[in-house]
Amino acid sequence: MSGETLRVVGQRVRKVDGIELVTGRAKFAGDLVFPGMVYGYAARASVPAARIKGIDVSAAEMSDGVLLALRGGDIPGPNIIGILPPFDQPILATEVIRYVGESIALVVAESREAARRAARLVKADLEPLAPILTIDEALAEGARAIHPKGNVTCANRLVKGDVEQGFAGADVVVEGTYETSHQEHGYLEPEAVCAVPSADGRMTVYASCQSPFHLRGHIAANLGVPASSVRVVQAYTGGSFGGKDDVATEIGSLAAVAARRLDRPVRIAHEREESIIGSNLRHASRIHVATAAKKDGTILARRIRVLLDGGAYASESPFVTVKALVHVAGPYRVPNLLVESTSVYTNKTYSGACRGFGVPQSTFASESNIDELARKLGIDPLALRRKNALKAGDANATGQTYPASVGIVQTIDAIEARRGALPPLPGNDGRWRYGRGVACLLQGISNGAEGVDVVGASVQVSQDGSALVGVGLTDIGQGARTVSAQIVSEILGIPLPRVTVRSVDTDSVHDSGPTVASRNTTVGGQAVKMAAMEVRKSLVGMAARMFKVEGPLVDLRDGFAVLTVDAAARIPLSDVATAAYWTGYPLMNLAFSKAPDASFDHETHQGSVYIAYNYGTHLLDVRVDTRTGAVEVLRHLACHDVGKAINPLGLEGQIEGGSLFGFGLAHLEEVLFRDGRIVNANFADYALPSIKDRLPTEAMTVEDPNPTGPYGAKGVGEPPVAGAAAAFANAVADATGIRFHRLPISRQEILLALKANEGKG
Amino acid sequence: MEYRVATTVEEALEALGGRDGSRPVAGGTDLAVVLADGLGAVPPLLVDVAGIPALQGVRRTADGIAIGPATTIAEIATRSDLPACLCQGARAIGSPQIRNLATIGGNVCNASPCGDTLSPLVALEAAFVLASRSGTRTVPAELFFVGPKKTVLGPGELLVEIRIASARLAGRSAFRMIGKRNGQAISQVNAAVWLALEGGVIREARVAVGSVAPVPLRLKGAEALLVGKTVRGLDVEPVLARAAAEIAPISDVRASLEYRRLVTGSLLRDALLEAAGI
Amino acid sequence: MKDETMRIEFTCNGKLTSVEARLDMRALDLLRDLLGLTGTKEGCGRGECGACTILLDDEPVNACLLYAAKLQGRRVQTIEGVAGADGSLDAVQEAFLEEGAVQCGYCTPGMVLSARALLRKNPKPDVPAIEEALSGNFCRCTGYGKIVRAVQSAAGAAQRAEGAVQRAEGAVQRAEGAVQRAAGKASS
Repeated sequence: MSGETLRVVGQRVRKVDGIELVTGRAKFAGDLVFPGMVYGYAARASVPAARIKGIDVSAAEMSDGVLLALRGGDIPGPNIIGILPPFDQPILATEVIRYVGESIALVVAESREAARRAARLVKADLEPLAPILTIDEALAEGARAIHPKGNVTCANRLVKGDVEQGFAGADVVVEGTYETSHQEHGYLEPEAVCAVPSADGRMTVYASCQSPFHLRGHIAANLGVPASSVRVVQAYTGGSFGGKDDVATEIGSLAAVAARRLDRPVRIAHEREESIIGSNLRHASRIHVATAAKKDGTILARRIRVLLDGGAYASESPFVTVKALVHVAGPYRVPNLLVESTSVYTNKTYSGACRGFGVPQSTFASESNIDELARKLGIDPLALRRKNALKAGDANATGQTYPASVGIVQTIDAIEARRGALPPLPGNDGRWRYGRGVACLLQGISNGAEGVDVVGASVQVSQDGSALVGVGLTDIGQGARTVSAQIVSEILGIPLPRVTVRSVDTDSVHDSGPTVASRNTTVGGQAVKMAAMEVRKSLVGMAARMFKVEGPLVDLRDGFAVLTVDAAARIPLSDVATAAYWTGYPLMNLAFSKAPDASFDHETHQGSVYIAYNYGTHLLDVRVDTRTGAVEVLRHLACHDVGKAINPLGLEGQIEGGSLFGFGLAHLEEVLFRDGRIVNANFADYALPSIKDRLPTEAMTVEDPNPTGPYGAKGVGEPPVAGAAAAFANAVADATGIRFHRLPISRQEILLALKANEGKG
Repeated sequence: MEYRVATTVEEALEALGGRDGSRPVAGGTDLAVVLADGLGAVPPLLVDVAGIPALQGVRRTADGIAIGPATTIAEIATRSDLPACLCQGARAIGSPQIRNLATIGGNVCNASPCGDTLSPLVALEAAFVLASRSGTRTVPAELFFVGPKKTVLGPGELLVEIRIASARLAGRSAFRMIGKRNGQAISQVNAAVWLALEGGVIREARVAVGSVAPVPLRLKGAEALLVGKTVRGLDVEPVLARAAAEIAPISDVRASLEYRRLVTGSLLRDALLEAAGI
Repeated sequence: MKDETMRIEFTCNGKLTSVEARLDMRALDLLRDLLGLTGTKEGCGRGECGACTILLDDEPVNACLLYAAKLQGRRVQTIEGVAGADGSLDAVQEAFLEEGAVQCGYCTPGMVLSARALLRKNPKPDVPAIEEALSGNFCRCTGYGKIVRAVQSAAGAAQRAEGAVQRAEGAVQRAEGAVQRAAGKASS
């Protein structure tokens, strides 16, 4: 099949699940209705830190319509969730409160209104503790320990070469400290689950989530039953971006426990405020970067300290900390590198997985610093980056090399070609300041060092020639189902409308880990491809017999088995499939794709960590209004090295959407805390970008095939976030002449800085 | 919570006067938020006044116009018979969905300092007619607002008319606001300017700014500096400097007081230049 | 009286609908829970996201802010009423799919309705008009670019369809004229 034209893969196709979404027929978890269904609503802590002396649910229990009020002790299992053992997060707090919004009880009633009213009647007898609200407070000598192990969630080190030597030989050193604030995922659908007990003793939980198997494990453990008796079905999920899995295990477990107790279906659907306060955020960061370079711009060494504010519980902190560690040096050859990356606990809503996963924060810091280096040396910012950019065969930050698909230089060249053709930016005219920013990034694809990288997929062809596909990874809106369908359609020649991709159901696919790290297309797609190739053998074999030829002379396309030497000679696939079935050829295959193992030294983080990286270069032009601080983005070019675009339409959507997500982080969004309490838990005061705030993003791709992905593809869900955020920061710096060290660089911050600068004369 | 739909003003006043804590509701767009935030006690009775014909539309009066408080913001935004600053203020509110439900009376009685019809109404020196079972009274806009989300409306009282005098219908006006983002943005600061011009000279000026004080604020010092000035070659800087000294912004979740102080000048400049026809 | 309900009669997606509900119930809950029309979504409950957009007498409003009493005697359209009875998608729905303007789909019902309301009043909207009309509908997935293109495409499609209808009508008229002339000749 290599060398042949691709017919379906690489085409702009409509989402296979689009019709049910555009007609409103698709059922999200909060849309599902079951006979006898009741509603759960959590009572939450209103102080950031306290010892719990008692929780009194008696008033709630007696409230109208209330059936049940659960406390931590009512949970049959360990009442604990988390991403990485040892899990440190209770579902319902029983001894200690660690953040405002932490759940302390679940009230279940005949209506959500009744449950909500009753939840307000839950009384907690608390002994408040002085809350720890900043990284510095957490690390202070003698600080109160938020968890028994202290306030450091995890700490990692990366050592490559000899930084002392690197700095000693430098012509110039550029140093800076850069900060980012907490970002809220802001998916339009708040978290929701529905737990339905069945007569056979099993529990089915329909959930808005990314990682159904992760949910199943925790729900079963907390319900005190075997995992095999729990079934998790991923409902249509209205966005996730990493933000739903912790909460889904929490409310999934609670709903299941309540459903078991009442023997009735239980729905828990969060309101927006609960979603913002009670589910994970993006880690805030403080990153100190020092870069040593030669006069000609060659980077000799970098010394970087990453500090992450992870809030009350560990969640994904261990993985985010390592990801930041590995990525913060950027897509460059850095022969001498020392990185320390630490995550701390604070008494705030916990932080965890959020699109980009430590890379947007790292990229902002690193690329701001690289920009400052370029300025100091008087070298063009793109040229400086190109000079140091990784190439195939170069050792990256972890000393890992790749024989192919290191596309950073191609993306820089693509951007440079466009830049060269652009008219010059207008000069500053007093009121308006124009600026251009560029940024380069890399984002490791798939789980890498973070865990097992295995995906299961199944392909089943029926006698009528239609195909059913199951994959263990979820579609959360990013178009994963469509990519799977395209791959199967390509390999089996079955037209797209006759390929069905089923929803993820833990009963019927192999545990494939979480849908994260842009691994859907790469590892997931590979599994789908493998399963389809096996079934193809049966169809080709049967068709060859029917044609009375050898196998290689048969192709499958457009619903037919066709002779390569005579396209008019064709048999409908339905006939081939029927014949194959009756002849005894297998028409279903379950395949297993395992990414190569990561193996690296845990002291130095040197070794092989990710199967591939996606590289990108962004260019962003801005016009700043010096009277209000408002910024208009005039142009945004986002070039990504995607290996192969399986569905260009979906891929553009990921680049455009991911870029706006990054722009929000850089310019508009900040979760505001006062005394540990989130004070802007709504979409007005938390400035989610509206249509009028959108970017004029032009998605560009370079295709340098990735040997480990299907058709050479690499996932692109996350990389644009980092690129847009860093490029925006550099553009504003160029426009105003002021380097902003903290995100978000809001209108307010820009105006205040411009005025302060004016004063300096 | 009980909910009654009133078809006449009398019916509404009867219901409002008859039960402690009862509240009128028109579009309900602010009420839903207040209740969701848990900032207001759930009223025992809501009296829906949105459908009362006497509270709709705009009619001429002997000395100006009377706007029905239940007129939607969407309608205010598109009418050509209202001063520009009021229409522009209405257009700045929320989103199309909000504007189709929200009413000018609701915006006024909610009395949020950042309400976008408030600074225009204060600049236009609007008068609010309040009715209750015991009679009516008229309160000038400037005296109607007494604090953030606080008005002089007493129990059982209903806003039944928003009056603007003919003198303020003539002249030119403009409104500006700024928020954290471009779409569906809550005002961090807003500003309304009204000018009476004659022969290229400013005869009278009204300047009102929202969200820089507990209530929408008339900037009388700035106004005084404008009167008598020629529009051609108008130097706005002294006016803006005076304005900056008159406001008392605070820092809150939406903006810092420094930002408010700085940006008020920019908004006033733009509104002033547009009102002056420059 | 507490929890008193009333009969609320309104036209929903073209059908006269009568339902018993508390007047202070949100229209959003009436539609979703009493009528099973779950296409209208709750995203924030405060009128800040637009996921609950419905058309009330052709105008977009947030169903989460609308009290059920206000539906009395009105005309409501939800996303379920947009596609044809035979399941055929309308121009906006087709355009959203064709342009890749749908990702997770949660904002889509509200977007489609706001777009339809716009095109009904302004069949040839420019980009600022599209932005204004959709300024109350938030999307976290697409970045909005493809949504704007979808609305432009739908506007163009509607115009092309209208043009085709006009040309077809013209053809019918010419054919009728020819028939009449032929009949005239035959009778003379």
